[in-house]
Amino acid sequence: MRQYAAVIRDSFHAALTSRVLWIAFVAIWLLLAALSPIGYREDFTTRFRSSDFSNGTRMKAMLAQGLATPDQEASATRNLANAMPEDLRRQLERVAEGEEVRIQLRELASALNGMLDDESWYDTEAWKPTLRFKELRELDELPDEGLDESTRRRRARLRIEAAFPGVFETRSSRSVLLTYASMDFPADLAIDKTQFSSLINQYVFPLIIDWLLGFILIFLGILVTASIIPDMLQPGSLHLLLSKPISRTLLLLSKFLGGCAFVLLCVTQLVIGLYLVAGLRLDVWNLRLLWCIPVSVFLFSVFFSVSTLAGLRWRSPILAIGVTTIFGTICFVTGILGGLSDGFIRTPDQVRGLALAGENVFAATDGGGLKRFDVEQNAWQEIFKSSAVNSDRILNPIPFGDDLVGTAVVRGGRFNPFGAGPLDLLVLNEAYDWEAEPSLRLPTATSRLFLGGDLVVSMNTSELAAASVQDLLQAAGETESDDEAEAEQADEGLLSKLSNMMGGATPGFSPVLPPQMAISKPRDLVFDPQGEWIIAISSGRLMRLEPSTENPTQRWTLRVERSLEGEASKQAKIAVSGNRLLVARSEAPLIILDAITLEPIGEPLPLSDSLIPDTVQPLGTGGRFALLTSDGRCRIIEPKDEAVTYEITQTLRQKEIEALHFHVATNQLLLAHHIDQIDFLDANDLSVKRAIRPSLAQWRLIDRYVLAPLRIIVPQTGELGEPISALISGKSAIVMNAPNGEEQVIRYDIARPILSCTIFLLVMLTMSCTYFATRDF
Amino acid sequence: MISSDAVESAEAIVDVRGLKKRYSGSLFNRRSVDALRGVSLTASGGEVFGLLGPNGAGKTTLIKILLGVVKPSSGSASLFGEAVGSAAARRRVGYLPESLRVDRHHTARSALRYYGRLSGMAPKEIAKRSDELLDLVGLAGRDRESVKRFSKGMYQRLGLAQALMHNPDLLVLDEPTDGLDPVGRNEVRKVIERLRDAGKTIFLNSHILQEVEVICTRVAILSKGEICGSGSIEELSSGSVSGRVTLDVIADEKTFNGGAASTKFREWLGLSDSADLEVAANDGIGRSHRLNAMLDSQTKIDAAVDRLRQAGVSIVRLEAQRETLEDTFMKLVSASEAAN
Repeated sequence: MRQYAAVIRDSFHAALTSRVLWIAFVAIWLLLAALSPIGYREDFTTRFRSSDFSNGTRMKAMLAQGLATPDQEASATRNLANAMPEDLRRQLERVAEGEEVRIQLRELASALNGMLDDESWYDTEAWKPTLRFKELRELDELPDEGLDESTRRRRARLRIEAAFPGVFETRSSRSVLLTYASMDFPADLAIDKTQFSSLINQYVFPLIIDWLLGFILIFLGILVTASIIPDMLQPGSLHLLLSKPISRTLLLLSKFLGGCAFVLLCVTQLVIGLYLVAGLRLDVWNLRLLWCIPVSVFLFSVFFSVSTLAGLRWRSPILAIGVTTIFGTICFVTGILGGLSDGFIRTPDQVRGLALAGENVFAATDGGGLKRFDVEQNAWQEIFKSSAVNSDRILNPIPFGDDLVGTAVVRGGRFNPFGAGPLDLLVLNEAYDWEAEPSLRLPTATSRLFLGGDLVVSMNTSELAAASVQDLLQAAGETESDDEAEAEQADEGLLSKLSNMMGGATPGFSPVLPPQMAISKPRDLVFDPQGEWIIAISSGRLMRLEPSTENPTQRWTLRVERSLEGEASKQAKIAVSGNRLLVARSEAPLIILDAITLEPIGEPLPLSDSLIPDTVQPLGTGGRFALLTSDGRCRIIEPKDEAVTYEITQTLRQKEIEALHFHVATNQLLLAHHIDQIDFLDANDLSVKRAIRPSLAQWRLIDRYVLAPLRIIVPQTGELGEPISALISGKSAIVMNAPNGEEQVIRYDIARPILSCTIFLLVMLTMSCTYFATRDF
Repeated sequence: MISSDAVESAEAIVDVRGLKKRYSGSLFNRRSVDALRGVSLTASGGEVFGLLGPNGAGKTTLIKILLGVVKPSSGSASLFGEAVGSAAARRRVGYLPESLRVDRHHTARSALRYYGRLSGMAPKEIAKRSDELLDLVGLAGRDRESVKRFSKGMYQRLGLAQALMHNPDLLVLDEPTDGLDPVGRNEVRKVIERLRDAGKTIFLNSHILQEVEVICTRVAILSKGEICGSGSIEELSSGSVSGRVTLDVIADEKTFNGGAASTKFREWLGLSDSADLEVAANDGIGRSHRLNAMLDSQTKIDAAVDRLRQAGVSIVRLEAQRETLEDTFMKLVSASEAAN
């Protein structure tokens, strides 16, 4: 192999003498030099930002309510409302008087920031009823004299947060502020360290790699290397090479590998430089970044394989560049078509939630639609249309019986958690051909519905509210029109209106959370099928709530609570099977707890850091669980020894799973995968009892038989950014805040771009080698 | 410096039998070309074999087939008994292309290192051999200079050095002196002669017939894809003397016995009246003559000499003009072209 090593080494040598390479080197060094003064400093999270508010309307209402609170009552919200700047207070007074006043979140954040340094608004008595988290309790115990300014500001922020439960997103206690040459960035970029690392690893690095390596360097690389093959084919060079005792195929492959030297040299410098800058300046040491080197060279090799074949065929660098550019354009256009197909054809039909009512299967879709499976037609029938341009959001359906289903359509809810206009629970009745009948009004910003026994519980930005199924069914079809409802609401008392703004009770739904308690994100909730308890996790805190036996729609009692170790701002999912509770959090091991005492059982069960829990469902009542992870696979978690030790016993064979739903009555696990296919698995032996393979509509047929094969045949080089993101971040998905306020797990498409690029590369190299080996030169 | 472990001289190093090569037309130009039409030749060990032919005769195709660059359409060719194109055959061949192209990032030394590695040589061996060859081709002082600055002659010398790098048993030299000045040509010629003396087999393709005539022990003349003549220079020109004989003779008046000098000379030379004869006086007194006549066989020359001597004519010089390689070449090529 010495000969081929010589060819590769010679190509490196040739690349090093290229003027373009040295220009690229200088550009890379300049970029790294420009990045090197970037730094950061860490401090307590004190300043409020607009993005910290999960429910600004609620805060506005609470402040207005505070202003209306009589002076003799100790009230934290009143103290804070009074401490607001004069003009803001006047606006709040108008809110309290029932006027529609628009207050920007920025204004509220600015007012709160102004209050951090002067805590004259604080009154121990007023803060006594508030729910104080561990950090605040500890800070409150410290004497004022011993606190530095930063800690004092932190304590002030926590006190403000405690006064407004359900208003703020959960943030890490420490934040980093970006600096450049020791100067703070002019824009407020304060984020916590974990978010900061995620930002760097999941956004900044992939962006740099995508643009610098995936576009600029590849273009430069093709310009420089396009002449390698035509040069080799010059008679004075080729005949001499071919007269040597070497294989033509290996000679060409060696030249090909050598041609990748240009990109390898540039990428290695850039990536190692970025790795060092990120590590030394930002303390983000991510060895995974080095994966970008082989991936970028691989990406380049796809384009270079086209240039090689064109160079062999036409022996002209200009034509090789031209053909490669045309190929790049075809890839780009196919990528655009693929993106349009994903956005307009596949994603709107993707199942996000499932419900089984008797024999009827209902699915809520990503496109804001609701559909029912028609067995006779073997097709999904749309009740509410799914569409890429649909601005409405559908709530997961809940079955009230074999022929009754409840759901709700949040108008404009895909881009705003609060939606627009009133939000009614809708009852779909088989007798009326599943026509939606409006029922009771749901609390503002309801995002999920839960059914347990005779109760329906709605969850919105921070509150839980309950109504009886009986009342809901009675109300179906009897609700006044919107105008009448609005008129009725106008007649309601001022406090009722403010309560409604806060997402509180409506005429049909009563709040069930204990006073001063809020279910804020990240959160999840399990409602007992018999309606006897609720277990919720909110900001790393587990709670078990039970209803009063007399009236379950009155406020429930907090029976047990437990703060979990670890980062509170991490996404969490929970499920209960029998008397076992499973908690699955991002970047943390799975925890099994006793569902009654919330005491941990056994050792935590490690889960790969690359996997983000998406959904957890029970499998019967024997302490078994199904966990859907960000890689689109479902893992089964079962007790090993006397229900103390748990383990992941298997991963189901189904791939690209989008939703899980355990149906108690039939003891079946419903699995939605490959957009809208459903498998019904027996919860005991996990065998498939029924499978829905719907016939496809026209566009879906085009997508499956035209666009999907096209996306395999034409390498999806543009999509290699996703495997790069996955490699750098070590995650199989990314968690993003959707415009509707909910966290959305977006799975990286790793296999397809790598597969399509690999197949294409192999085909091109085979063609090139065959041509070179059999052709007379 | 040039090792002498060459192959046995009796062995047929290059053996070509009935070799044909047809270049098929392309999609747009369906006309195919027969580059070789059944070429057969052999070159033995220690020979300097010259391949001659006009442009388009098929010389380059034949060399490409010998090097394994082009596959023959039919027939067979072997080097050292191994099929052409096999790694075993190529390992023993050194090749100097007509217009050597060395990548611009190389120096003479790095180019030799590269080609040495391609021939499978070990680094130590490459270093040692490079010194020897750079010295041999006269690039010793300029071995670390970029080839960008090399003249055509320096390129040719470098090409010769790389062809010799792995001490091959057969050298295929394609126009080795092309583009060289007379001094350079002479140097290259001397190197080839030294290689020949060292027992190397050399397959030479050259347009410069005088050079071939001087260096080659055997030649083959290729025309229109066919061999129209092959053998040693002598064999090619033997029995095909041109027929023109020049004689410088001394004869006085008595010798002519009152007859006209030209008539007497025609008689002694055995020429008919119509035969071509030039008689010129070499001096002013009419004794020395230069005769130029057509005597197309040795027998006629011998008879003419006998008659001249019997008549008392002194023969000062006799020169029977033989055919040059160029004459043979032109004659054979013309005949081949006429036949085709």
